[in-house]
Amino acid sequence: MSISLNGVTKYFGRDLVLDDVTDEVPQGSLTALLGPSGSGKSTLLRIIAGLEPLNEGHIELNGRDVTNVPARDRHIGFCFQDYAPFRQLSVADNVAYGLKVQRMPKAQIRQEVDDLLHLVRLEAFADRYPRQLSGGQRQRMALARALAIKPDVLLLDEPFAALDAQVRGELRGWVRSLQRELGITTILVTHDQAEAMEIADRLVILNEGRIEQVGTPDTMYDKPANDFVQGFLGPITTLNGVAYRPHDIELCAPDEGVAATVTDVIRLGFEVRVVVSDCNGTSSWVQLTHDEAQRLNLIVGEHVSLRVRMGAKKNRGPEIPEVFRIDGDEFTSSSDQEERTPFAKGSQR
Amino acid sequence: MRRSPVALRIAVLCYIGVLIGVPLIFVFQQAFIHGFGAFFRALRDQQMDHAILLTALVALVAVPLNVLFGVGASLWIVRHPSRFTRVLDTIIDVPLAISPIIVGLVLELVYAQGGWFGSLLAKLGWQIMFSFPGIVMASIFVSLPLVSRQVIPLLRELGDHQEQTASTLGASPLRIFFTITLRSITWATAYGVSLTLARVIGEYGAVLIVSGNIALVTQTLTLDIGANFENFNNYQGFVGAVLLAMASIVLLLILGVARHRERKRNEYLA
Repeated sequence: MSISLNGVTKYFGRDLVLDDVTDEVPQGSLTALLGPSGSGKSTLLRIIAGLEPLNEGHIELNGRDVTNVPARDRHIGFCFQDYAPFRQLSVADNVAYGLKVQRMPKAQIRQEVDDLLHLVRLEAFADRYPRQLSGGQRQRMALARALAIKPDVLLLDEPFAALDAQVRGELRGWVRSLQRELGITTILVTHDQAEAMEIADRLVILNEGRIEQVGTPDTMYDKPANDFVQGFLGPITTLNGVAYRPHDIELCAPDEGVAATVTDVIRLGFEVRVVVSDCNGTSSWVQLTHDEAQRLNLIVGEHVSLRVRMGAKKNRGPEIPEVFRIDGDEFTSSSDQEERTPFAKGSQR
Repeated sequence: MRRSPVALRIAVLCYIGVLIGVPLIFVFQQAFIHGFGAFFRALRDQQMDHAILLTALVALVAVPLNVLFGVGASLWIVRHPSRFTRVLDTIIDVPLAISPIIVGLVLELVYAQGGWFGSLLAKLGWQIMFSFPGIVMASIFVSLPLVSRQVIPLLRELGDHQEQTASTLGASPLRIFFTITLRSITWATAYGVSLTLARVIGEYGAVLIVSGNIALVTQTLTLDIGANFENFNNYQGFVGAVLLAMASIVLLLILGVARHRERKRNEYLA
């Protein structure tokens, strides 16, 4: 089921938390609402679920206006960040809750609950209580409970935030494949860009209640609409005042790039971060693979030269020069030669 | 430093012993000073039996009303906060801060004949003061916050995510209240009920004033005990006191169980 948001605006008292949010979520997609805390992403999710009234705008599910439809009639599955397990009910009764509301016959409820518990791999825990489950198990129970009513849309508020790193990784992959399998239109809220890029096929980036950019993870990483999106989707560092991804900068022969001094080498398994500072004392960093770092065998205080990798994206959007031409020891590009000048100067040292 | 826990233990035990233990033992000793036979004969005192019945009736009316009010007010204060509920939250505590004697006097001034509403009520044929309704009113007043003071913090801690989840699953507000909210606050409410009950059957000051303390008519058990001591009928007084003490001990045991269950529930926080 597709979801359309039309000029959704929300105030908390006098604070504007959502400012004219408009988006079209296609049927069957997995959309991540991504943004820093306080960007209004959770509020938007609650508004879609009908748990929060909005001040202006419309929400449509498959073309049907549900703006004034209460949550209980929207047929939307919702999972809170804390999973909100019904503490007094067993796992099976938690999952059965929505089915009992529908007055489904008892035998059928038992069958449905069994199937759902099998789906989320909690068959063995049917008679346990939520307090006896681990975080990951509680999350799967909450998911089964939401899926029981066969919702048209699934909304997940920070579904992995409360889990430890290993469980989080496993569940991400599992939720993604489950979503593919069921083909259910899903929106999840997260503040973790890596999580969003891994799991979602659409990103909606929110900042201070406004949509900054909408697109696939790839296009947004490569063609961020603005500095905020660029900074939010991945690390950036600067070389002569220009923002780059750290993996787009490489170390080169002394007279081919900007002279700099190594100030720190941080080893993070496969990735190695080399922190450098140039002659002006400006700090930036370069991302190397473990092999590269071993070959170069860098030590703190060593003098190196930096240059932008071939084909790297300098900035955002359409102004990116597609190809950098190496002209002797000078970098030039047709569109912004002036910006390059200090770089060329630096390389002459 | 290792000695201080022992000193602390002795201090606490002495404190409790002097204030609670010794008087309690004294009351029981006095009540059974003439043996069990005399004690059971004293139980059949007509005046006291009437007082016990009246106290039970007052509790039967006042406690359920305060539970309904307490749970309702708690839900309103926690789930629909506004400037008004913040005032309400404070006002609910007023009965704990006011001396029961003052409560009784104020009720009498307002509802007795010649009071603000007294003459109007008299014209309608309703007598509130010096009768059953007045005693119930005073009892409700003095025990007003005892349920909500237990329920409000629990509701705050629980949050509303369970209720909201239930609503996305299609449940009606009434169904959510009975299947989710009420089940979550059962033990806290039970604890509040025990406190309310203890307060209602033990109240003296406010009831003394509004009831008129008429033997065989408006005399509750506490008033009966007081009257016996005033009339140098000490033995009967001690028998009544033992009954009250035993009622309190039973309540305390129930409280202990309720608190234990509540703690077990709270070990897991969502």
